[in-house]
Amino acid sequence: MTQEAFVSAPVDDDSAPDIATQGLSLAYGNVSVIEGLELRLPAGQVTAIVGPNGCGKSTLLSGLSRLLKPCAGAVLLDGADIQRVPSRQLAKRLALLPQHPHAPEALTVAELVRFGRHPHQSWLCQWSSDDKACVDEALAMTGLTTLAERPVDALSGGQRQRAWIALAIAQQTSTLLLDEPTSALDLGHQVEVYELIRSLTAAGKTIVMVIHDLVGACRYADHLIAMHQGQILAEGPPGETVTADLVRRLYGVDCTLMTDPATGAPLLTNVRRTRDALDGSAT
Amino acid sequence: MSNTLSTASRPTQPGMTSCSRTQTPSQARTGKLFLTLPLGQRLPLRFVVDKRNLIVNLSLMGLLLLLTGGSLAIGSAATLSASATFEALLGQGSALDNFVVRELRLPRVVAGIVTGSAFALAGCLMQTVARNRLATPGIVGLDNGATAFAVASVIGTGISLAPPAMALTGAAVAAALTFGLTGSIGVRGYRFLVAGIGVGAVFGAITQLMLTRVSIDAANAAYPWTVGSLNARPAHAVSILSLALLPALLAAIRLTRSLTVMRLSDAVATSLGVSTSRCRLMALSVAVILTGLAVAVAGPVGMVALIGPEFARQISARNTVPVVGATLAGAIVMLAADLLGRVILAPIEVPVGIITALTGSPLLLWILLNPHTRTTP
Repeated sequence: MTQEAFVSAPVDDDSAPDIATQGLSLAYGNVSVIEGLELRLPAGQVTAIVGPNGCGKSTLLSGLSRLLKPCAGAVLLDGADIQRVPSRQLAKRLALLPQHPHAPEALTVAELVRFGRHPHQSWLCQWSSDDKACVDEALAMTGLTTLAERPVDALSGGQRQRAWIALAIAQQTSTLLLDEPTSALDLGHQVEVYELIRSLTAAGKTIVMVIHDLVGACRYADHLIAMHQGQILAEGPPGETVTADLVRRLYGVDCTLMTDPATGAPLLTNVRRTRDALDGSAT
Repeated sequence: MSNTLSTASRPTQPGMTSCSRTQTPSQARTGKLFLTLPLGQRLPLRFVVDKRNLIVNLSLMGLLLLLTGGSLAIGSAATLSASATFEALLGQGSALDNFVVRELRLPRVVAGIVTGSAFALAGCLMQTVARNRLATPGIVGLDNGATAFAVASVIGTGISLAPPAMALTGAAVAAALTFGLTGSIGVRGYRFLVAGIGVGAVFGAITQLMLTRVSIDAANAAYPWTVGSLNARPAHAVSILSLALLPALLAAIRLTRSLTVMRLSDAVATSLGVSTSRCRLMALSVAVILTGLAVAVAGPVGMVALIGPEFARQISARNTVPVVGATLAGAIVMLAADLLGRVILAPIEVPVGIITALTGSPLLLWILLNPHTRTTP
């Protein structure tokens, strides 16, 4: 990995964009998942959205990336409703990496990453030297230069995830939305992806990731949003936000909270089921 | 626009860059031609052409040309030499040769090329959009819908002015029914397929019912529409289809880039700025129009929509949507099937629809039964 390589990269000329939601309500058909959500995502930082299964984390990410049209309210990117921004323009500012993306058979890493340039291309200008430079750079940032000609489906889980992140990097957006980027990865690959994410923030990008791994979120995120049943229970820097009480309300488990002596991040130990949770009244 | 990772001005890292400079990973061994048209700096026209697809398409074009010549020269009336065919085509042969080539065979060859192209292009678009190689207009019921409406017009009015419009309406109605029953095409491709088969069966039954209720003469007049034939097709229907084919092909080529991105997944394609639902609607509309107009000419030769794209996909570069290749392959399949049908039991003609069904069915079974074939196009 070559993470230090781009820490010194020039930060975005125009300041990183501001993402906020205004009375955002999201639903699948008649099933309302999120109602009247007010949210502000800090620019140039890593925001982790945590919460139990079915709390609406991924739904929120779908709403933020315009995959799901809000039934009320709006997602604002620099004050503009993303539903009104032309899709190609939006794709130059906001990239989404969905959960478990699937590459067509025999697609190589370089071919996959080249797709990231799609919003910057047109039918009359299908490839430019900028595109080439961005793809090469995205491959280098993710340490995939030597694997560029390998088929994506022949890579290890961590490499594959890095290839998909490289696609989003090549898209050159100032904001990246990642849906569980580390799920299904082993510890080493998880750290690899987390460190890549940190280095992207160091290069000026805003990262929003939905994540199950609370410890990883505490360690690598600047901002934490805890969701439960479509509502925000707490938000702020992980060190101030995560409390034993919050963990109990989120997941129905008791834990002992410590401070990681190495990083200063909150550390959960002695996790056990709350007695209340057994009665089905966790909150 | 944001330019977070501008590489041009950035000091480069030793090691990493030397590697990328020698290998240029983004373009190395891509099999693509990066063409820049010399139109100045202000209007950069840069096209990416897949080398393999270029060679494949040129070869298919050559094959189509050969087959066109063969179809003009060979037949039960007289089999002409190459030079005699060419002279007759230009109107400089003997009177009989001129008549046979220009009046009998040429319209038939043109009808074969345009219908084969239309069916196969429609098939390629629909398969791609539905993410399923079995989702061709014929299987999804468009052919049967178009046929039912065309037969209704032939039986009802007795004049053959209406079939193109009626067939187009029929294809649109069948598509609307199938679409309405499933609500979407790509996300639930499998349901779209099953609903389409049902809709097609209903229209097939309606056609049969109509044919049994009318006099034998009227049923005979409608017969070509039920099996698919290129014999003595209405000239105006051929003209209408020919006029529609070029814009349809251009639209399909314009859609290719979006369709290629959509092969990844809807979420990724949307994130990359592709309006997936608009792209689907456009591809589906083109497929419906082409199928309707082609059925008006040749009847339901829907198997071409399966064979043509499949053939093109096997020989084209992987991970591309072979729109042009499928169009050419469709024309080739149609001409070859028609030629075979004319020659195999001469002087009796086997309708082209029967030949394509005979060759297409094993292909269909192969797709369904071969565990190694991908079902996604």
